[in-house]
Amino acid sequence: MSNGQPAPFPGQSDKIVQVENLSKKYGENVAVNGISFSLTKGEVFAFLGPNGAGKTTTVEILECLRNPTGGQAKVLGYDVSKRSDQAEIRKRIGVLPQDFNAIDRLTVRENINYFGAMFKHQLDADKLIELVDLKDKRDEQFKRLSGGLKQRVGLAVSLVNDPDVVFLDEPTTGLDPRARRDVWGVVERLKSQGKTVFLTTHYMDEAEYLADIVSIIDHGQIIASGTPDQLIDTHGGKKTLIIREAGEEGLKQLPLGLPKAELRNAGDIAIPLNNGELTNILMGLGATPLHDKEIEVRRPTLDDVFLNLTGRRVSEEGN
Amino acid sequence: MRSRIYTIISGHFKSWYRSKSNIFWTIAFPLLLIVLFGAIFGNGSTKFDLYLQNQDLNANTPTMYSQGYISVLNNTGAFNLHTVAAGQTVQQALDYVKSDAQLHNRGQRLLVIPSGFNTTLNSGNDATIQLYMDQSDQASASLAGIVRSVTISYAASIAGAPDHLNLQQVGIVTRNIRYIDFFIPGVIGMTLLTTGVFGAVNTNGRYRELKIIKKLATTPLSKIEWILGMVGYQMILATISLVVILFFGYALFGVTATIDIYTVGLVVAAALLFPGIGMVLANFVKEAESADAAANAITFPMMFLAGTFWPRETLPDIMKIIANFMPLTYVNDGLRDALIYAEPAQALTNTIIALGLAAFFIVLGSMLMNWKEE
Repeated sequence: MSNGQPAPFPGQSDKIVQVENLSKKYGENVAVNGISFSLTKGEVFAFLGPNGAGKTTTVEILECLRNPTGGQAKVLGYDVSKRSDQAEIRKRIGVLPQDFNAIDRLTVRENINYFGAMFKHQLDADKLIELVDLKDKRDEQFKRLSGGLKQRVGLAVSLVNDPDVVFLDEPTTGLDPRARRDVWGVVERLKSQGKTVFLTTHYMDEAEYLADIVSIIDHGQIIASGTPDQLIDTHGGKKTLIIREAGEEGLKQLPLGLPKAELRNAGDIAIPLNNGELTNILMGLGATPLHDKEIEVRRPTLDDVFLNLTGRRVSEEGN
Repeated sequence: MRSRIYTIISGHFKSWYRSKSNIFWTIAFPLLLIVLFGAIFGNGSTKFDLYLQNQDLNANTPTMYSQGYISVLNNTGAFNLHTVAAGQTVQQALDYVKSDAQLHNRGQRLLVIPSGFNTTLNSGNDATIQLYMDQSDQASASLAGIVRSVTISYAASIAGAPDHLNLQQVGIVTRNIRYIDFFIPGVIGMTLLTTGVFGAVNTNGRYRELKIIKKLATTPLSKIEWILGMVGYQMILATISLVVILFFGYALFGVTATIDIYTVGLVVAAALLFPGIGMVLANFVKEAESADAAANAITFPMMFLAGTFWPRETLPDIMKIIANFMPLTYVNDGLRDALIYAEPAQALTNTIIALGLAAFFIVLGSMLMNWKEE
């Protein structure tokens, strides 16, 4: 090609990452089992699944840290299995490894410049510091920062070479809710700048909130892919009507002829909704003592998608 | 590539000088040892040490005149006399004096009463007592003066032999090695050992745990550049240790050292060898904490057996054999030969061995090190 870029798979010129039938075995253990997906320029792609599903193995193959045992993967059109291509990939990707820590006794700014010096061209450290909102901490040593701030340094470091695609491996694991939101904020800023982001996570809400495209991976295989809405519509099941804190008593007060209701924690009553049923149910409730309870309609989430696809839920710890 | 290596060196260096415990272990601890050991062993008694070989024995008993001369020497109260076995040749006696004096932190001076001393004096012939000592020995003038006056006064006390007893002074070249002179190169070796091994365990074990190495492996940085950066940093640190320790050795105890090409070779060797050992450890023992324990398990016995604190000659035979397999032995010996003893031939041998070991360990460590994840 004229710009020196190697040829991507035919007919997919805007594909930043293309993976076909990729697999990775460790002895007898199959970590990744013939997966295929692609990532388009400007997209935030979430690889969603529990611990041990094969997320990190896949992302590390794309980062040229591991060699695949089968299939093909291209990043920015370069083949991750070819040594000469790997050098090109390394120049142009940004990586935040899982559980990454920068160097303890270097300041925020020094850390950014340290990792930046590994590349021929690096972005201005102060601009990155601004992007991750660490202006007040720029001269603070890394070890003195809180977990959330440390992760923001990691994000800045992953962007230091102005990469064409950023790989964020479990960027919010172990962070408190506030710090998670801060990281989300940075990813949103990247998205608004048109960066392509590859994110792995076991947090369903994170994938739903941030991602344009979600691929759910379990036991080394992709079990569903699509936009969060598509996944929820296809696999999420019915909407649920929730009557807050109605308790056992409330169950007995429900009008007859409703779909099967169940009692959830905190005494909430949950009633699965079929399309077009809502008005009828609400009218029915209006005639019962439950009419003054707080009522909401809950849309299914990716949690429900995962539950419906695998028969289990993913815990907060990712198991 | 140069700027990447420079960045790694400067990163390590900043991490080093910003850590109080690092500064303590690389600078303050060795100095503390020097002050402590110097204070304990550095000051000998105010008497002169003098080795004495009385060859004039009769059935293993000193003859009358030789015994009389020794008594007069003793009565001056100026000497600590140390007896050397009579059966040895003068050369053997001098060799013995050299090693024993070094071991006990004494001056190397030997007084020899020749065989036939008694008979010669009795027959009215000239007898000559020989004093072997280094003219540059600080104590030489006063010591020789005392021995001379003892000889003259003893001669005067022998009836009819006032002119027949002579003292011949024989110059020998010694470095009057005190314990502290011996100790300073050992402390340098020890510091190079600990900073090298622990430095490598830290940068290759802990940095792996913190995913810093994983992150670097996703950048254009190569494994070789990373290792060169680490070794470059170790060389700077080794040079600082050397300069600081030698400076304080001179300032506090007047230890004068010669820095020559072998010293440079040994510092280069140490800056490759000990981090190489650390890298091998860090790769066998993956968890940073266990690697630290393994580093302790390796450095401590090496420190004690390889002649850091006392000469290996004092060790039991089996330990001497073990010490021969310890890389620190050659660094310590080489540093002593180069810095203090001014023995270039021995320094060269030790430098070559140290460089050979360095090449082996740094290559092995580099080969074992996983840069990528597999």
